[in-house]
Order: sequence, then C-alpha cells, then structure tokens
Amino acid sequence: MTATMTPLEAISEKLGTTEPWVETGSVHWLSPADLKVRNLAKAMNELLARFITITAYQLPGEQGFRLEYHWDLDGQLLGFPFLLVGNSPEVAKIESIYDLCEAVDWIEREIHEGFGIHFSGRAYEPLLLRQGDTMGVNLRDAVATSKETK
Amino acid sequence: MSYKIPMGPYHPALEEPYKLDLICEGETVQDAKLHIGFNFRGIEHLAETRNYIQVIALMERVCGICSNIHTLTLCQAMEGLTGLTPPPRALYIRTIMAELERLHSHVLWAGIAAKLMGFKTMFMTCFELREKVMDVLQAISGNRVNYSMNRIGGVNRDIDDPNAILKMVEALELEMARTVIPIFTTSSTARSRCAGIGVLTTEKAVSCGVVGPVARASGLAQDMRRAAPYAAYREMEFDVPVQPDGDVRARLLVRALEIMESCKILRQALAKLPPGEIHTEGEKFSFMTGTATSRVEAPRGEVMYSVSWKEGSRNPARVHVRTPTFAVMPAIRWMVVGQRLADTPLIQASIDPCYSCTDR
Repeated sequence: MTATMTPLEAISEKLGTTEPWVETGSVHWLSPADLKVRNLAKAMNELLARFITITAYQLPGEQGFRLEYHWDLDGQLLGFPFLLVGNSPEVAKIESIYDLCEAVDWIEREIHEGFGIHFSGRAYEPLLLRQGDTMGVNLRDAVATSKETK
Repeated sequence: MSYKIPMGPYHPALEEPYKLDLICEGETVQDAKLHIGFNFRGIEHLAETRNYIQVIALMERVCGICSNIHTLTLCQAMEGLTGLTPPPRALYIRTIMAELERLHSHVLWAGIAAKLMGFKTMFMTCFELREKVMDVLQAISGNRVNYSMNRIGGVNRDIDDPNAILKMVEALELEMARTVIPIFTTSSTARSRCAGIGVLTTEKAVSCGVVGPVARASGLAQDMRRAAPYAAYREMEFDVPVQPDGDVRARLLVRALEIMESCKILRQALAKLPPGEIHTEGEKFSFMTGTATSRVEAPRGEVMYSVSWKEGSRNPARVHVRTPTFAVMPAIRWMVVGQRLADTPLIQASIDPCYSCTDR
C-alpha cells in the first residue's frame, strides 16, 4: 500500500484484483469472480476494517443463494457478494471465517438456522432454534407462506 | 471445583429472556455461554408478507425503546429504492426525534443501572426524567412508544411550536446537568460498583465488532452520525464522547456525556428548523428492482437495514436487520470472565442489551 492509495485501492491490491468498485446507494461493491471469502476476511483484518454483517438472499427457483458480506472502513460501507449455486445442503455452503473474524459468529449461526446454509470449518451451537429443530425453516422460500399481500 | 450457574432465561439482571450459563470457580466466573432465541419472532420473514406501508408499522415493533430508529433506517433504505428525497424540514424533524429517543433510551438505561447498583433513589430520579422526555415525544408525535413519525419521503407530523419543545428540552438539560450527570460521574457508589468491573479491552472490542456506547467506552471513536451522516447530522456540531477504560464506569460516563451532546444537538436542530414541507407532497413513486442499505446510529449503536425489492411488487423481497445488541451481546462473555458472580447482572446491563432487537 502506498501513501497515495485510497482505502478502496488498498483493498483491491490486498485482494490482488483489478476489478472495478461499483458504488450503489451508500455501498461500495467489489465482486471479483475468483474471490475467496477467507482471503477477504484476512485482507479486512489487515486494514482494520470493522465487520458489520452478512445478508443472505434466496434466489428464485433452484438458483441458490447470494451472501453479501459487509465491512466498514472509516465510515465507508463495503459490500462483497458471494453466490452459492443450488439449494441442496451439498452445494449451499461456504467457508466459515469465524476463526479469522470473531464478530461473524452469531450471524453465521443465524443464517445457518434461517436458510440452512452451511459454513464449513466451524462447529455450531443452536442460536435461535432449540437443539434438534429443523434448519432453514425461518427464511427459506420452500416453507414460506404467500408473499404477496392481497 | 468449578460449577455451572444458569442465569436465565428469566433472571434478576433484566426482565427479558436470554440465558447466560456461568462456569464459576468459587465466586469467580471462569467462562460463560450465551443463549438467545427464546422469543424469536421471525420479523424478517413477516416483513416479506407486508406491503410498503405495513412494513413500516411492523419494523417499528422490532424494538420497544428505539422504535423510531428502525422506521428511520427502513425509510432511508426504501427512499434509496424509490428515488424520493425528504425535504429539509423532514430531515431536521427526523434528527430531533432520533435525539429525543437517544435521551429516552439513555435515561431509562441509567435508571436500570442505578437500580442494579443498589442506588434506588437514582432509579426513581431517572424514571421521573424519562417521563419528561416521553412527554416531549408525545407532544410531537401523539404517541409514547411507537411514534409513527417516519414515512417514505419524510415524516408524518410536523413540529408546530419549536420554542415550546425547546423550553422542555432546556428544562430537561438543566435537570440532567444538576442531578444525573454529577451523581454518575462523581458519586462514590457509582465508582465503587463500576470502576474496573466488566472490562472490554480495545483489542477485544475491535475483534468482537462491538458498536455504539460500548465501543466508545472501549476507546473506539465510531459513530454513524459522524462517520456517515444521515438526516440533518451533517449540519450539527457535537462531540463523540470516548473513554479508554472499557469498564462499566466508562460505559456509564459515555452515556452520561452523550445525554448532554443530545441536548446540544436538539437545541441546534430546533433553532435551525427550516420552513417548508414535511414530506414529498403528492409525488408518485415506484420501487425499482434492487437492494438498498441504510445505517443509523441508534442509542445502542449502529443499526443496518438491507432492503431488497422487485419492481412492481407491493412487498419487499427481503428485509435484513442488523441490530446493535446482536453485535454487542456476544462480547458479554469476555466482560464477565474473571469477575465476581455478584457483578454479572450489572455487567450484562452495562451494554444496555435489547432482547427485543436480538430476537427480532
């Protein structure tokens, strides 16, 4: 990182990508195709960015899920989307960053319970559900009732 | 010999459901595990079944204390999806409501903390003051808890007589400067019960990603009103109180100083309240497909909403809420380790936890 670099350029350099940042609303998005979530977490730690949350979205049909990881860097809101293709437990998974970023603990557990997405490399204890309850009952479309209000 | 003490889901610290399993060696806490979800309400799922008007009323009920903040954050996100910009007067009224809510929340917390310290006179004083703040909120909104102030593109109610509100705020500020602040900052009871208790170091605060007064009491100068201003905060002059010690007393001091800063912001906002409309009058709008994110500094710290919409739909496709307590509560584990069992209720209370927000 050089003295003239902006924080966003420093992140791109740390991640080794030339992909452009896209600003929509108040979020600066970076979505290189080959981005690994653990490399991202390490880069954010080095830049002393503050982890905020992960937002999970279920995509239509069997397209799977989109996970948006958010960090704050000196008041700038950063977003990094990851696609999980397919809805089955075998493919709806991503590496956990809990060992790199303690702050993700509860949100990874909540998404695991709400969407049935597996964060590999970590142990779970129930967060919202009780022991033995079914995963993915809160927010997966398969069990949701009619979404449109009459 | 170590033994486990289950504290909760209903326990002497706070009358809300969460559980702390404390592993103790004699009187000293060696480790702790937190359990939440006893009253999980599934509000994020419910939001997908509500239209753009109903969802505001729903999200107002995420929290019983900072209800206004939730509608403010949601409306800011929905304005991002509709392209509506609230008029200046609405932005000032939003700022005034947000600061009154911060006063209400901090004074309520001060009362509960005083009770847990065994300082019941102070508890009654704080609750009397809180009533006065709620009187101001009622005078503006007509409501005492869920104010129904925010709407897409502005606010629902005007402040007709800012001078009358200003007089109430000045009386409040005087009372706080005369009683609450000196007692919390100088009394030996507050010092002996709080100093050096429940320390969260700066390193641990960074690692846990804590927000709001808890972060500021651990030496982190983070505040959304300053870092990413919204509503009319860009035009307000105020300080962000920071304390380095990370103990219960530091959290007490940060909130006490923030009460005075809120009064300062309120005086400025009421004095500079611009004329004009309070919402975008008669302007038609529609939602565009996409996701919008909004962040606000609630009394307990940063609230973030991510709202996703599909064009032509009346309902949001997804509403995700990251509440401050959800970020702060896991840090309790590190605050109670090495502390006396008898101090754990006060340590838990010192983060000003909101179980309603956590079990949203």
